[in-house]
Amino acid sequence: MTPATLKVGSELRTAPREMTRERMRWYVDAQPTVAHDDGRIHTQEPTIHDDDGIIADGMISTNWIMGLLLDTFGTDFLHKGKLRTKYIAPIYEDQVVISRARVTAIEQAGDTTTYRMEVWCEDDTAKKLTVGEAVAYTKA
Amino acid sequence: MGKWNCEETMAVGQYTSDLEPGDVLGPVEYTLSPFVVREYCHAVELHQDCFQQAKGAVMPPTLIHLDKLRLYRHACPKGTGPHARVHIEYDATFHEAVPVGARLRVGGKVSERIEKRGRTYVYIDMELRAAEDDRLLISYRDTVTLSYRETKA
Repeated sequence: MTPATLKVGSELRTAPREMTRERMRWYVDAQPTVAHDDGRIHTQEPTIHDDDGIIADGMISTNWIMGLLLDTFGTDFLHKGKLRTKYIAPIYEDQVVISRARVTAIEQAGDTTTYRMEVWCEDDTAKKLTVGEAVAYTKA
Repeated sequence: MGKWNCEETMAVGQYTSDLEPGDVLGPVEYTLSPFVVREYCHAVELHQDCFQQAKGAVMPPTLIHLDKLRLYRHACPKGTGPHARVHIEYDATFHEAVPVGARLRVGGKVSERIEKRGRTYVYIDMELRAAEDDRLLISYRDTVTLSYRETKA
């Protein structure tokens, strides 16, 4: 779907992804790798868990929503945009995650179109895990 | 830099658990490397060309969350402290794309620390700016909770 085809109520969604231990590990290890910035992959122990097991870092779901918006709005979204995500339920190992967005408003001002969206991640029972909002802008 | 400068830095605690409203973190300067952008994007499966290309690549705005850890290391050298910390909200406004190779300056300020339903919430407002001319690139509000325990229904 392209921005030009979006209407209020239009929905975007990714294919389902399992939050595998490997995906959790990639993000956990990205943190010291970015911190050291020495051309090597670093590792660290996962720290987020509860009685039911390890929990994925919320930023993974934020980034999956970011990917959904980038695939729709392109790099315009990186030049001007907003994204807020709140982690309302833990995402456990192997839980299925689907990233979604729904257009709630479209505003035209001059040559700029503003798209306001509700964004969220849900599991395969439609239970919401991460919720938030996004604003994207396109120019004619 | 921007809203906060070094002169107003307060006596920040040695642990991130100690952070109090008004504490200033940073600013810290660094150069955004292509390695960091590529590795972060691989980790979170952002495979778009704009993050991977050799020339003209840009930073995913989500990467500012790891700048918070950069500020923690700078301001709280003893680490997390007695309370586990869990990130619960990302809230960012992107003002300009951030090019790989740019010299950047990041700083933050603890805006709130509140107790709610038995948990402690800490809010940090951050700004990422171009070091050369102080242009605002990304503004970000980070929310964490301390002493996290999942409440069973």
